[in-house]
Amino acid sequence: MQILSRPAFLLALAASTLTLAGCQNLSSPVVRFDRQVNYGDAKAVELVTNEFGSSDLQMIAEKMTGSLLETGIFQGRPTVTISTVKNKTSEYIDTTNVMSSIQTSLVKSGKVRFVRSMNEMQQGVDELQRQNQSGLYKQGTTAKVGQMTAARYSMEGELTSIVKQSAATKDVYYKFTLKLFDVQEGTIEWQDEKEIRKTSKR
Amino acid sequence: MTHRPILASMCFALLALAGSAQAQQHDPATPPAVTSKIALRGEANGIAVREIRIVRKNDVLAVQADLANIGRSDRAVFARFKWLDSVGNQVGDGESWKQIAVQGLGQHTLKSVAPSGAATDFRLEMNVETR
Repeated sequence: MQILSRPAFLLALAASTLTLAGCQNLSSPVVRFDRQVNYGDAKAVELVTNEFGSSDLQMIAEKMTGSLLETGIFQGRPTVTISTVKNKTSEYIDTTNVMSSIQTSLVKSGKVRFVRSMNEMQQGVDELQRQNQSGLYKQGTTAKVGQMTAARYSMEGELTSIVKQSAATKDVYYKFTLKLFDVQEGTIEWQDEKEIRKTSKR
Repeated sequence: MTHRPILASMCFALLALAGSAQAQQHDPATPPAVTSKIALRGEANGIAVREIRIVRKNDVLAVQADLANIGRSDRAVFARFKWLDSVGNQVGDGESWKQIAVQGLGQHTLKSVAPSGAATDFRLEMNVETR
């Protein structure tokens, strides 16, 4: 049996090294503590601490949007407004951010129309007054007062948490509950919840 | 005769390539029809996708995928569904990645609903970490 010549052996070694380099362990889509700054994947699983984070927000928004879309409650593109979102956890969490993500996904689905929420109403009233009372605009181009569409449904949510801690382990359980009320009848027409458990060890 | 060293080096490289390709294969317990819907990064590490069910509910697609851990060791699966329209374009901005803990010999069902009625197909993107 002929032994490989030196150039052929080197060629084979280089080829196999290059190929095997492609087989090294793959990274996972996670964000971990690192002193370097890089732009990362906004959709990656965030595991920096076990406090409420971007992945929790995204998972809640996706679960609620999916659940709402598959129920078929939005037949006929009804109007919806966002009411309160209570934060009953011990953390500071901007819960309007969760509702904003849900609203964005639902609007993009084209299945529902959102009307101004209580928090957004003042800007709408100000603009109507500016158009109708300032005397700056041509007649017939101004938006008419009293033509707003009222919401058929109102969306209310709350976020709660249970925290358990020992010397070595911290366990946080989050529960986000979302309800869709029929404004006229006051009945709950849809409700769902998303549970999240995060455990960290020291 | 002079071709023999070159042939040997090519075989060496092919063997290495085959080893690399083997590392990215699906678990044997994943049916061939299911593998066409999965974009697996790296090795399956004992995680099989036994079944994927898809149904259109109120004009949107809803999918469920059954993951099974064939081994006795726990696995961390990173997964998300990518929704595609009729020409293969991605629908929406893409889902967030989810970390799913699948215990040894355990099972987990992944669920998702398409972001709009435009989605007609999907891919399950996943990679599996040993713990």
